[in-house]
Amino acid sequence: MKLITTSDLLSLQVRVIASLVLREARATFGTSPFGYVWAIITPTVSVALLVFIFSLIGRQPPFGSSLALFFATGILTLQFYTELSNKLMTVFDANRALLTYPIIKDVDTLIARALLIAATYAMIMFIFYAALILLGLAPLPARPEHLVAAFLATWFLGLGFGSLNAIIFSLWDTWGQIEKILTRPLFFVSGIFYVPSQLPPQAREVLQWNPVLHLVEWFRHGFYSNYNSTILDIWYPVSIGAALFLLGLAGERFFRKARF
Amino acid sequence: MLAFKNVSKSYRLKGIKKTILSDFTFEFPTDRNIGIMGKNGVGKSTMMRLIAGTEPPDFGHIFRAPRISWPLGFSGGFNGSMTGIENIRFVSRIYGQDTKRVIEYVTAFAELGRSIRLPIKTYSSGMKARLAFGLSMAIDFDVYLIDEITAVGDEDFKKKSQAVFQDKLADSQIIMVSHSPTTIKQYCDCGLLFEGQTIRFFDDVADLLSAYADLNRR
Repeated sequence: MKLITTSDLLSLQVRVIASLVLREARATFGTSPFGYVWAIITPTVSVALLVFIFSLIGRQPPFGSSLALFFATGILTLQFYTELSNKLMTVFDANRALLTYPIIKDVDTLIARALLIAATYAMIMFIFYAALILLGLAPLPARPEHLVAAFLATWFLGLGFGSLNAIIFSLWDTWGQIEKILTRPLFFVSGIFYVPSQLPPQAREVLQWNPVLHLVEWFRHGFYSNYNSTILDIWYPVSIGAALFLLGLAGERFFRKARF
Repeated sequence: MLAFKNVSKSYRLKGIKKTILSDFTFEFPTDRNIGIMGKNGVGKSTMMRLIAGTEPPDFGHIFRAPRISWPLGFSGGFNGSMTGIENIRFVSRIYGQDTKRVIEYVTAFAELGRSIRLPIKTYSSGMKARLAFGLSMAIDFDVYLIDEITAVGDEDFKKKSQAVFQDKLADSQIIMVSHSPTTIKQYCDCGLLFEGQTIRFFDDVADLLSAYADLNRR
């Protein structure tokens, strides 16, 4: 009997993950084509509402000429990250039954869900920013390649934190509540409605430890030609994401027996 | 190759430790059908899950080259809110099969009529079992795992299942757990017997059955 080659294993992995993405899409959005439309409209509208409320209170935009663009770069980024870290937390429990098929492993279901969320948010962000540009509420992005990079980095950080969440949650389900409390302040410390570079040095000193803040800054760096963030270090969120993801994978391997 | 090397597996439930395998080394013959027998609760089903790879061993390694099925007729992997067709499509995708062919085969085999387009949660257990059985037959596995064969459907369906299954056996191998000497004798030509703490391999199914009978007499 022949042994399985590495390329066979890779194509198997790709096949399993692709099938899981389709299944997950079907389970999340239902059968009607409107399911997917709703999945995109709901967050888009909620962000639009927040932006609208902010602009009602609004003084001058903290930066640039568009309040909507400034808040959107903050809120959409945070929401994408939060969606990943929350939805990935329960992925092992939700897909327990699938492990009946010997060919599917826990990590496949994790990656599949993360990919589906990425596809959904790529759509949401595209629609939202395109709408802002078409409505004249935002200029064309100054550095589109940085927008793509910032999107990928946000996904990676969310995947890292989400996979660690998934492991901890599978061993100890009170973690779900604790994580909610711990991440609540993110809304205030991620630079959503202020320019972090304009804060006093003491505040910057503390806030720069928050990787999500760097991602928000990164998106703004991509949109505005002269944002000139003094905080942004693009390698910081990427390294944190890599470290958390590796920790998550190691945890999956290490505690695999405990989960059965 | 399907082989266990120094495999140990135990469970701890409410402080009581139950050892299923300790330092078990065994290479499964590749061209024979293997029966697994033993009293209730000795770990035959755990052994099946270890073979399938749905559960990891505590220590040791399991080498698994052939394509191994999920337990025959088991429908626990279906998603209740998805239709029969959607579930079939998903499973045939993960196994890299021609989706259209598998759908046609299972639709014709399982005889579910228009129910195949309804969510699985509306199915009776018999319908689910027929779908699961048809699906396992549609995909070409090297090894079929069977945890107590359960016949489903009416006489005609049973006959049809039997015929298809016999046909499969020409190219595939089975590993079967059963308490029934008749079933083991019908399908297997060698076997493993769980006797208390030890597991013994019998090259001849007749020896396996007489040892199993002795075990029950004790």
